[in-house]
Amino acid sequence: MSKLDHLTVIELLKKGDEKTIHQLYVDHKNGFTLFANKYDLSSDDLLDIYQDSIIALCENAKKGTIDNLESSLSTYLFSIGKYMIYRKLKTKNKSISIDSDDQFPQVAEDEIDETENEDEVRLLQENFKKLGEQCQKVLRLFYYEEKKLDVIQIELNYTNKDVLKSQKSRCLKQLKDLIKK
Amino acid sequence: MFFLFFIEFKTIKCYKMEKETLINHYFEKLLSAEEQKQFDLLMESDVDFAKEVAFQKSLKKAITLNERAELKRKLTSFEPKKAKVKSFKIWYAAASLFLIAGLGFYFSQNSNTAIYEEFYQSYPNVVAPTVRGEQKEDTKSEAFYEYDSGNYEKSLALFSAIYESEKDDYALFYKALSQMELQKTNDAINTFKQFDLNKNNAFTPFVKWYLALAYLKDNQKENAMQLLKSLSENENPQQEMAQKLLTELD
Repeated sequence: MSKLDHLTVIELLKKGDEKTIHQLYVDHKNGFTLFANKYDLSSDDLLDIYQDSIIALCENAKKGTIDNLESSLSTYLFSIGKYMIYRKLKTKNKSISIDSDDQFPQVAEDEIDETENEDEVRLLQENFKKLGEQCQKVLRLFYYEEKKLDVIQIELNYTNKDVLKSQKSRCLKQLKDLIKK
Repeated sequence: MFFLFFIEFKTIKCYKMEKETLINHYFEKLLSAEEQKQFDLLMESDVDFAKEVAFQKSLKKAITLNERAELKRKLTSFEPKKAKVKSFKIWYAAASLFLIAGLGFYFSQNSNTAIYEEFYQSYPNVVAPTVRGEQKEDTKSEAFYEYDSGNYEKSLALFSAIYESEKDDYALFYKALSQMELQKTNDAINTFKQFDLNKNNAFTPFVKWYLALAYLKDNQKENAMQLLKSLSENENPQQEMAQKLLTELD
């Protein structure tokens, strides 16, 4: 993967192009292991962190947060990885010295770590898959990819925003009925 | 009477729609200051509203977890032994070809290069990632930017300048790496030699590692082996790789 076309790569990641993700994954694995080895973590933990870093990178690409990325994609990936390593070491209560020079990218975690409503989330995870394809699409674009309704309307060819909005409400209603059962 | 009912129905409907819009705007991060106030007020005073927001938040989390699990499965499927076996196979095939060729010096030179190619990996910029907006306009960021972009001539000049004025280890390290990338192996060896290897800081094992690779490329196998042996003897990030490379060299 040449370093110059990283904007093209970001475009492909936005589409969830599997080949690109595979290439990215393979290309950076050795480099990542090379630099992550110096931390006191098991190889299982490191693999886990590497995969989570790739996932975070894909998510940020989809959300458009790295449209203006100036550094190379690999540098960005490594800085996510470094951040996740620090976080992991912290949960294991291992002492770490963070370089004052370190700058971390924004990694989406927002509400993900909150533990309330665990049961509801689990129910939703299961029942979401039972929704029709169109519902899954609309909800995934809105809640996961954080796309605005205007954008979804164009992407999914809705004649106007109200049609899309009522579609979304219907999907939510269906989902509520499903988890009540 | 009917008229009144109609008005009432309309206000309720409007009110409902307004709430829905507020929640949509909340997730779209489009709430205006006024709407934010209204949103906060409803969260406090309207149980159903708060419930609805909580439900949609849970949904967001559920979809996110599903998507991540899916992607994680995919990534794990990229992990198979197949890929590794394949690269080893190629390596063994290449190695046996060289054996068949068996041409003394020619052989040793080429196999060293092949081993070098197998083990050399560009070292990432782990010091100063640059993203537009958070970028610092200084020589250090510029140097790393050029390094990241693969402009090693420029990064070489910048890291050299930084090292001249600040004598920082990172500048020396990335100066040498830029030289490696430019195939200026002898220059890289000389730069790496400026490191005090007794210092033992975070760069030390990597300096030894890359210096060993540079020696290997320059056909100074003895010097390379010596460094690799010292790396393989005690615990450090490059210990395992050094052991692996040593067995390939033996």
